[in-house]
Amino acid sequence: MRNGTDRLRALNAPQRVRVELDEQRRPRVVKREAGNEKRVESFGENWRMDDEWWRQPIVRRYVEVVLEGGGRVVLFEDLITGEWFAQMPA
Amino acid sequence: MTRTPRLTSDTAACCWIPLFALRCETARRPELASLPLALLAPDDTRRLWQVAPLARRAGVKPGMTVSQAIGLCPALKLCEPDPVHYDEQFARLVAALVTVSPVVEPVELGRVFVGTDGLEGLYGEPEDIVETILMRSAECGLRNLPNAECGMGNAECKGRRREANDPSLKFRNPHSAFRIGWGIGKFVSWVAATRAKPGEAVIVPVGGEAKFLASQRLAVLPLDPDTHRRLLQLGVKTLGALVALPEEAVVSQFGRAGRRLWRLAAGLVSEPVVGRVVPEPIVAALTFFTPVGDRDLLAHALDKLVDRALGDPRRSGWRVQVVRVHAELEHGASWLVAATLKDPAATRERIAAPLKTQLERSPPAGAVERLVVEFTAFAPGTAELQLFARDAGAAARAGRRRALQSAAREIALRIRRPMLYHVIEVQPWSRLPERRYALIDFEP
Repeated sequence: MRNGTDRLRALNAPQRVRVELDEQRRPRVVKREAGNEKRVESFGENWRMDDEWWRQPIVRRYVEVVLEGGGRVVLFEDLITGEWFAQMPA
Repeated sequence: MTRTPRLTSDTAACCWIPLFALRCETARRPELASLPLALLAPDDTRRLWQVAPLARRAGVKPGMTVSQAIGLCPALKLCEPDPVHYDEQFARLVAALVTVSPVVEPVELGRVFVGTDGLEGLYGEPEDIVETILMRSAECGLRNLPNAECGMGNAECKGRRREANDPSLKFRNPHSAFRIGWGIGKFVSWVAATRAKPGEAVIVPVGGEAKFLASQRLAVLPLDPDTHRRLLQLGVKTLGALVALPEEAVVSQFGRAGRRLWRLAAGLVSEPVVGRVVPEPIVAALTFFTPVGDRDLLAHALDKLVDRALGDPRRSGWRVQVVRVHAELEHGASWLVAATLKDPAATRERIAAPLKTQLERSPPAGAVERLVVEFTAFAPGTAELQLFARDAGAAARAGRRRALQSAAREIALRIRRPMLYHVIEVQPWSRLPERRYALIDFEP
């Protein structure tokens, strides 16, 4: 066994981020835990997902953004905890 | 015209290592032995092929999808299959068994029949023959053989038997689960092997087949699920109960298959072990238009000749153990090199490698006019061998895999932590992106 990592790991696991929202509650600035922060330059699609209501409900508000520098990421807000996460676009 | 001798034997020893592939993995990576482990299927990495007992206890079964299995056992450790490695290990075992008897019939990975007719003069009673088989199998080159040689009550083995009672140790090595059944015909010996404890043997005395079989469960018969269910519904749970029914009644219910089942259950069918005659040497030759002195060109020609010899239909089901190359040189001289492969091989890379080394070390003294590759000795392969390593495509796959493993090992040595992964589908239909795919360690 190697340092406890010897198991299945999810691919494209959400990374927790902090966001500053504008008046329309859209992300304006994205701050990663490492400390670097980037401004949102443009918005793409946004959608909402409700799943697993029969177990532990998952309710997310997704928004696809282009960050300064051209990076495209999908951000989502966990509407139950209020936390924001970033994921790679599909 | 010469007549091909037929190698058959009525008495049989069935050597069986259940979950052979999985045990090969735990043999080379002992740290896996204590984990709930499963091997992915070679032809569909979304499904499980073999499942270790710890994972089975959590409800994981062969054939399940990865997502089902992870749902039942979140700590499940998944391994990519390495069929060429399993095949090589099995070929070693078969090669060791050939030293006991010339009549050897590999059936599937981990199961092989050894014909024992006429071996009494060499080894003695069936108990002694079985002991010899256990001993030779332990000597076949795999290390860490916890209890393979402990089957016949040897006092020295008591300590090792205690070791064998530890489930994690028991699962560590292919041979720790080596079971032998001896009897008349393949069916009786197979059933006996399934009744043997790991590292031990069950011997069915001649004439005692019917008594032995009577108490066995129905599942030992080669039944399709429907017949099995119908027999259980009829209250037939053992072979004895089946034989208690009139043969004709069974035939009227199940047809010709029913007759065979009834006769197998009664111990009336004894299929002999059928060995194979080792092929004659296989030769592939190439005459150059003009004499060739360039070593790269000779090495290339060597590859082509090895490929051609491997493609000979007589080689099917056999691995090459000894290969010779001879060259006719300009001005009547000659050159000869030979290599004995420690692990018999069926891939061009492994057969040609020692020859190329010798070509570099002691090249021909002159330009080569004719180059001849000759396979002169063989070791038995398996049906799996024919699937995974026989044809050129499979050999290329094996070659690519080896190259990948070697690169992976180098990376692991440099960065000293696992950084290579294999992507598998878990729930590709999921609406949650992080649940669709997962990474498992790629370990060479």
